[in-house]
Amino acid sequence: MQDDPTLNVNLTRALEESKRLADSIKPDSDRWDVIVVGSGAAGGMAAFQLAMAGVKVLLLEAGRMIDVRTEYRTMEWPYASNRRNRLPPGERPIDVAEYSFLDRPYGSNPAFDKYKKVASYASNRFTRNWVVDERQNPTTGTPYAWVRANILGGKTNFWGRGALRYGPLQFNAASRDGFDVDWPISYEDVKPYYDKVDVLLGCSGTNEGLMQVPDGVFQRPSKLNCVEVAFKRAIAPMGRHYIPGRAGVTTEGVLNNKYRARCAGRGRCGRGCDIQAAFHSPTALIYPARDSGNMTVRPYSRVSEVLVGEASNRAIGVRVIDANTREVMDFKAPVVVLGAGTLDTTRILLNSRSSAHPSGLGNSSGLLGCYLSEHIMGIRGSGYIPARIGTETTLDDGRPVAPYIPRFRNVTDRHPDFIRGYHFQGGGGCAEYPGMAHDIAGYGKAFKSNVRKHYPALISFGGFGEVLSRKENRVTLDTAVKDAWGIPVLKFDYRFGDNELKMAKDMADSIEEMLTAARAEDIKIEREPLPPGWSIHEIGTARMGDDPRTSVTDRFCRLHDAKNVYIADAAPFVCGGTQNTTWSILAMAWRTMDYLKERLRAGDA
Amino acid sequence: MQNTRPRQDQPSRRTALKALGTVAALPWLSDEGLLAFARIQETKGAPQLKVLSPLQFEALEVLVEAIIPTDDRSPGAKQARVADYIDLLLSEVDRDVALQWFGGLAALDAEAMSRFRSPFSRLGAGQVDAILQIISRNETAPQTALETFFVMAKQATIRGYYTSNIGIHQELRYKGNQFLREFVGCQTEDGKDCPYCGQKHHAG
Repeated sequence: MQDDPTLNVNLTRALEESKRLADSIKPDSDRWDVIVVGSGAAGGMAAFQLAMAGVKVLLLEAGRMIDVRTEYRTMEWPYASNRRNRLPPGERPIDVAEYSFLDRPYGSNPAFDKYKKVASYASNRFTRNWVVDERQNPTTGTPYAWVRANILGGKTNFWGRGALRYGPLQFNAASRDGFDVDWPISYEDVKPYYDKVDVLLGCSGTNEGLMQVPDGVFQRPSKLNCVEVAFKRAIAPMGRHYIPGRAGVTTEGVLNNKYRARCAGRGRCGRGCDIQAAFHSPTALIYPARDSGNMTVRPYSRVSEVLVGEASNRAIGVRVIDANTREVMDFKAPVVVLGAGTLDTTRILLNSRSSAHPSGLGNSSGLLGCYLSEHIMGIRGSGYIPARIGTETTLDDGRPVAPYIPRFRNVTDRHPDFIRGYHFQGGGGCAEYPGMAHDIAGYGKAFKSNVRKHYPALISFGGFGEVLSRKENRVTLDTAVKDAWGIPVLKFDYRFGDNELKMAKDMADSIEEMLTAARAEDIKIEREPLPPGWSIHEIGTARMGDDPRTSVTDRFCRLHDAKNVYIADAAPFVCGGTQNTTWSILAMAWRTMDYLKERLRAGDA
Repeated sequence: MQNTRPRQDQPSRRTALKALGTVAALPWLSDEGLLAFARIQETKGAPQLKVLSPLQFEALEVLVEAIIPTDDRSPGAKQARVADYIDLLLSEVDRDVALQWFGGLAALDAEAMSRFRSPFSRLGAGQVDAILQIISRNETAPQTALETFFVMAKQATIRGYYTSNIGIHQELRYKGNQFLREFVGCQTEDGKDCPYCGQKHHAG
């Protein structure tokens, strides 16, 4: 008997397409105006903007093509398999505690010898074919849960859909509290691009008039369910807001995209949305770009470095190692756009070593790899809202994201213990799996009825706190350790600091305060942060600025040291507030590409 | 064992699909895969044991049913095939974890023999309850091997039951994972008094 037929996703079409493309696209098969590295939010948006403007683009993806008709298993029930949501034997995600105590590289630990594949914590039944094998993709240094997906569309295939804008509190953070520097650009510079991203891709949300998280051009919002309304009313007197989550999901449809339908309220977006209402880079950006006839995608293309020409301040292309054949190929183009994700983009630049750039391309300041930042998370709490204890089941989770408590610290006041702030995401009500059952005591009919009674009443949420951009939090190239393709790996030197830990304590205290105000029963608080990297919101390792001595890129995300190399991902971001990063990557990539299009038109790219 | 009656005729693809209720989500399954899968779902099919002996399986069925029993609202863990789920789990976990389970089942039988001169699977409901009362005493900080085993078995039973068709649809009456025109939410959000939670539109 086959135990788990549902695990057998048919990848034939995607694998055949990948092989056909990789076999047919060689450095001399065409001429391209721009090479874009990476196909997630950053590379996808970059390629889309350029191709739609008539620029000829070669898009390089390290992994394979995706089959969006079979790989998004959105509505599958857990009982589709008697294994339920467990991974099959031979595959193993790294668990929370292991990130902190296992030696690096994680995959080479003897404890994992018996597994065929060891992946980051993000690998599950639905993402297992996309998330990379840690053995092939090692890292060294301090603990860091780095999630990578080598597949067309990258992590946008399973992202959390939180679509929040940075605002003045981020772009001008230093002016407000004196820490570090402001961004060289303001919210007003980026706002038009956030607006355009909202319209192009669809963003569900409500206008709230809060300066800590600016409003957008929103489509139909989701609503709060019963426990959430009770909670909202309880914290309103404290001056705190609890608002519908803002989701990168179209609830009303988008123009000019034949691949996407509007949200059908199934609430399973993190597995990949099979009707493409959630933003996934392949259907939202890459297929339309391909349909323009101006973009070529080459999968299985691992970029090891940017190639620099005779004029040492200009790139001439990139070096590609074919992921399957290991063939090394130099693809040439007048412009290179890096959108491999903050850390892989940084790694490619650090590895682009030449006599003119001995410590990597773009590193004349010595700051490439520094100022790594993300969000401290894991501080969370839960309780039961009395009004719903013992009531009947309602449909509470048919929406793209849970509600959201915007930042309330250091907005109008000043907290005595820390600068910057945090927000909370989470909600309540009836979910598919009653995780709270594991905490209910006893057995038998009393236990069963207790689970049933408390099931609709649970509310739970967790914090995302800004990690200060500090120079000493950095990645460097570890030339002693190579990945499966012989490319040196990243070494992390990254720790939470005093400000983050004080903030984490305040997060836990304010969760308790709010649940108490809501008269929640059986309040539980988790005070320990998750390991660094868990947020998957990494930013900052090629920071932007006007002074080449203190920054890596200029205000248009172009390397100071090589004027035809642009960064489309979050590596240039100066600081990241509390907001999920993707929507800012999309807006900034669009802005950077508008600038590049201008340079191309002027013949000065 | 009640569950070892001969397998029914092979279900047709159509009844298999009906049993799934998720046709749209599984278009790539072969007929063979679907039928295999439908058999797993069949609550009355014979167990096809991977690591447990028939006697261990019988004891485990009694234990999981005692943890989450049938009541007025829905069938319990036995009918939800939680023991099959655990058998598959034990065939795939580390050997030392599986050994803990085997040891636990053996200790449970020893306890039943010493108290009631009968193996655990043959105990009456009151006798099973008497043993569970004892071994569940220190649930949050188990002291003995049997207390530890109770916690392991309970957590696995919760996982298996509430991810089963019976647990999700009959017991919890979960309403999500459906195509909706629009998410409803609390009715107060639409300016009405809410019939589900009793909250008024204009809260005091």
